[in-house]
Amino acid sequence: MSRRVAALLGAGLLLGCAGDGRTPVVVYSPHGRRQLALLEREFERRRPDIDVRWLDMGSQEVLERLRFERVNPQAAVWFGGPTTIFQRGAEDSLLAPYRPAWGGDVDSSGIGPGDLYYPVYRTPAVIAYNDRLVAPEDVPRDWDDVLRPRWRGRVLIRDPLASGTMRAIWGLILDRSLRETGDTARGMAWLRALDAQTAAYTLNPAILTEKLGRGEGEVTLWELADVLVSRARGEPFGYVFPASGTVVIEDAIALVRGAPHPEAARAFIDFVGSDEGQLLTARHNFRVPARRSLPADSVPAWVAEVWRDMRVAPVDWARLAREGAAWMTYWDQHVRGTGARRGGA
Amino acid sequence: MSARGARGAGVALVLLLAWLVAYPIGLVLLDAVRDADGWTLAHVREFLARPRERGALWGSVWISLATVAGAALVGVPLAWATSAWAVPGRGALGALLALPAVLPPLVGVLAFLFLYGETGLAARLVQAALGLGEPPWRFRGAGAVLLVHVYSTYVYFLLFTRAALASLDPALLEAAASLGASRRRVALRVLLPQLRPALTGAALLAFMVSLGSFSAPYLFGGSFRVMTTQIVATRLNGDYALAMVETVALTAVALLALWLFGRLDVAESAPAVGRSGGRLRPRRLRGAARWAAPAALWLAALVAVAPLLCVLLVSFVPLGGWREGILPRGYTLANYATLVADPVRFRPLLNSLWMGAAATAAALALAVAAAVLVVRRRVPARRAIEALLALPWAVPGTVFAIAIATMFSVRAPWTGRWVLVGTALILPFAYVVRILPIVGRAALAGFRRFDPRLEEAAASLGAGRWRTLRRVTLPVLAPALLAGAALAFVGAYGDFVVSIVLYTYDTRPVTLEILGSLRQSDIGVAAAYGVVLMAIGGAVMALARADR
Amino acid sequence: MTPYLAVEGLSRRFGGVVAVEGLTLALARGEVLALLGPSGSGKTTTLRLLAGFEVPDAGRILVDGEDVTARPPAGRRFGMVFQSFALFPHLDVAGNVAFGLETAPLSREARAARVRELLALVALAGLEHRAVDALSGGQQQRVALARALAPEPRVLLLDEPLSNLDPELRGRTRRELRDLIRRVGITTVLVTHEQDEAFELADRVAVLRGGRLEQVGTPDTLYAEPANAFVAAFIGQGSAVRARLVARSGADATLEVAGRAVPLQGARVAGPLAPGDAVLWFARPEALALAPEGAAPLAGLVRERRFLGATARFVVALDGAGEVEVQAAPAAVAVGARVGVTVRAPATGVHLFAEEG
Repeated sequence: MSRRVAALLGAGLLLGCAGDGRTPVVVYSPHGRRQLALLEREFERRRPDIDVRWLDMGSQEVLERLRFERVNPQAAVWFGGPTTIFQRGAEDSLLAPYRPAWGGDVDSSGIGPGDLYYPVYRTPAVIAYNDRLVAPEDVPRDWDDVLRPRWRGRVLIRDPLASGTMRAIWGLILDRSLRETGDTARGMAWLRALDAQTAAYTLNPAILTEKLGRGEGEVTLWELADVLVSRARGEPFGYVFPASGTVVIEDAIALVRGAPHPEAARAFIDFVGSDEGQLLTARHNFRVPARRSLPADSVPAWVAEVWRDMRVAPVDWARLAREGAAWMTYWDQHVRGTGARRGGA
Repeated sequence: MSARGARGAGVALVLLLAWLVAYPIGLVLLDAVRDADGWTLAHVREFLARPRERGALWGSVWISLATVAGAALVGVPLAWATSAWAVPGRGALGALLALPAVLPPLVGVLAFLFLYGETGLAARLVQAALGLGEPPWRFRGAGAVLLVHVYSTYVYFLLFTRAALASLDPALLEAAASLGASRRRVALRVLLPQLRPALTGAALLAFMVSLGSFSAPYLFGGSFRVMTTQIVATRLNGDYALAMVETVALTAVALLALWLFGRLDVAESAPAVGRSGGRLRPRRLRGAARWAAPAALWLAALVAVAPLLCVLLVSFVPLGGWREGILPRGYTLANYATLVADPVRFRPLLNSLWMGAAATAAALALAVAAAVLVVRRRVPARRAIEALLALPWAVPGTVFAIAIATMFSVRAPWTGRWVLVGTALILPFAYVVRILPIVGRAALAGFRRFDPRLEEAAASLGAGRWRTLRRVTLPVLAPALLAGAALAFVGAYGDFVVSIVLYTYDTRPVTLEILGSLRQSDIGVAAAYGVVLMAIGGAVMALARADR
Repeated sequence: MTPYLAVEGLSRRFGGVVAVEGLTLALARGEVLALLGPSGSGKTTTLRLLAGFEVPDAGRILVDGEDVTARPPAGRRFGMVFQSFALFPHLDVAGNVAFGLETAPLSREARAARVRELLALVALAGLEHRAVDALSGGQQQRVALARALAPEPRVLLLDEPLSNLDPELRGRTRRELRDLIRRVGITTVLVTHEQDEAFELADRVAVLRGGRLEQVGTPDTLYAEPANAFVAAFIGQGSAVRARLVARSGADATLEVAGRAVPLQGARVAGPLAPGDAVLWFARPEALALAPEGAAPLAGLVRERRFLGATARFVVALDGAGEVEVQAAPAAVAVGARVGVTVRAPATGVHLFAEEG
């Protein structure tokens, strides 16, 4: 048996040591294999001297990684995550300033202070539903529609503690409450009512897909990109933009401070936001580009639809960044699980 | 090695273990009471003030205790049934009932969803059979978590008890019976005390696994809170200081449990060879038991194997192919094709294998050295060594990973810290420390059970210490050591909580491929990886038994 | 003549308990010595000290003139057979037997030949590849023996060699063992608590009590000339009664037992005893005889009869003194009757010892 182990060890080491002379660029990203592999392939085609190595992890995990690796940075590029998280990275001195070639073509509100990060995609939240189980006339049209009795115990919610999008939606509700009443109480009451509608909190997109597809819930609040990707794979999912406006998260990219091979890293960043990069991910991964002046005829139809139908709700991002944590803690401690649910848990 | 040399080696080992195990934990725990302005108990007070926090801690404690009780109630009778009863197919039954040990993480827990969830296979079967309009149950809450935990941990009771029964002298039971003790009294007053080392060992393992368990409460907990999920939630919220206090609380519970189990535990001292003692002979059953018992056992085996079969099934299902109906609609090999076609996707399998093997080998070497010093040479440092060997159990995986990452992210050689984060070494290193308790325990138990006469015989035949160790001690101990090593290996390559913090591009393990696939809703591919993990795990466990 | 194996003043304590004290023995080459004694007498400790598994607090061990006291077991070339045999479970019979040969400069064929030779010696030829836990107790013992003898040790040590065997097997195995040891001609020390075993296997027997050597000698010597009451009682049968020495002239003596005078003719007196001393009067059963009451110096009540076939032993409770065992014909007297006890003349089998405190 020890001989077998030694052989395996040897094989492993050999494979490990196989370098090939290309410049490695390590990218930490939550965007997932499909998108990252696509971008890697296309970028390496244009730059065969660069080897893109991506590691797939949540944006929160990227932040922590970068903290630990501060003294010995492994990653060159942080690609993906809400700008709120990038802001924390910037405050922690983990990022290096870089204005990409396409830097002037995005909304300046999403750009980090001192050019520390730039928005690449816009991620709108939508109301999604199982179109086999929900008749077109029943589809909820706005946030408050989700609180109707029809949906009691039929709503699936991605756990807001784990999802930037959900936090943003929560922020939208609470922000609205603050603007209307000067207090978060009404917002929390709304969220409590939503809790009563909730069949399950899921933490994982795969579970959400399964549950929604199997009919364990009929309605959910989700990111547009995920809905479209699932639809493209045959899932019976439909979506609407909330009539009163939805949150749109700016999804950013940044150069890591002390990155190895910064030149190659910058080339990658340039590619991601370039015309080809943005169109590629729009076509194959359903990411809404942050770039404003892409050639209109090459933009896929669904993007044009989004630009037409989507209404963006105003959110005080600064306040969300300041008080979001406290709101989430309060929600977790005092609201989650308190709305009466069907069947209980 | 003289007595002085042994003492020195003992001290050296304590220092090494302290550096490996206690130092990183200590660094991280300090953060719980430190602030930007210095020492503070503010976070601790915050923790104690919140009922949800206390509730989560209590939840962790009682679910772990319940898991131990449940796992014992399932595992011990099964061990007895497969050892003491002459049931046809005993060997196969025994192997099947032990298979939950190779259930891969993440995917394994998902399998429960596919089986027992409200739209799962079992639920749909029952629903159809009873003609119900609605799913008969919801797989949610403390009960669901308990079921998953008991399923994952009863194997420890099964394996450990079975091993103890194999070396039990049946004369003890017969003597008790001849003195007029009823079956119940024999079991309680004679059998259980003989099984005590096995039971406390399994109980400790089950408790620790349950205390640090994350995926089950995460997926099925619903509103039932435990500390592990709470820590993650707090960290996601950015409240690192509070998360650290929560970690300290959990670690404190684990340390308390370690100490308590240490008190309950008793060192074994049964001689091994040459004694013509009897062995427990399986006895034939009479009457209704002759068919009822095998039927019950095979049913239990089916339940044990069901989640594994479910993973296997899911690996053949294309996306969305199992929505309605009790079984999937169509099957495909595409999931496996993706695994082998792309070398980039195949590489993690090799990574996990070599890291698991290297970590197990290193941990074994450390454990054997420790056992020699503690049991044979009885160095003064032996209590410290034993405690340090078990300490990694007290720390939940994520915390430990963060501790290692923190410790090795700074270059300060005079305080024992180097920069290892981002290198290929750090992950196997972390694995070594994580699996040290189980390998250490196997080594200590094995050495304690070992008949010292065998070493004396070797010495009288001219073998020096080194040759005795190589040619007699280690070969005789091999079965026990291999069993522990097999469990450790399965634990190392199936780990993801530690890997997720410390892996690099070159060391990315299979479990992270699984996680990545799940994040993309590629359940079929994740299941395919899971099947490969199960196959490897099964092979390793089979090898460890075959070497006996 | 220099002894082959010598032990001088060997002592060992465990905590405050004396295990062995001041032990001195000498064996000639090829001699077989049995260490005999009750449990706790230090015989196993002595054996382990000889083997090197224990280190003595004081004393020396010499082999063939060489001081091996400080030598570890592996360097002493003493072969040991353990009470529980301690066969290596992971090696087969040949593997066990060959273990001690592994560091010897022998070719593989030579080693295999030696294994075959030894297995033939212990009558286990052909079982080279059998697993050791598939052997019977007797076979296991023989493998243990073959294993110990394979590397041609200087001394063979046996720890209770037959106690782990079934009683039926013991008798035959005892004879085989004796023949084997004689054939090999190796200097042997064996430990036993069975007197018969010691007598049959050994040339000389050393009787131990409380860690001290009481007496060492051939079986005949020990039986006929025990050094003290303990040895006399331990070896063979007999009973001891307290008495006072009244008179003594040459080999004759007169005792006073519970007020009665008992004449002895040709009894063995151990030690300088003078008239007036308190003595312990030890008599083998065959040295006493039953007689009609009144016609004998002693009298008492027959308490018990132990039937031995051709003869019987009668336990007689003497008036005013202790009990004695008397050998007589089975039908000599009935239990419960009163009878007289007399000492045969000459009084061989009668020993007088100073009374021990």
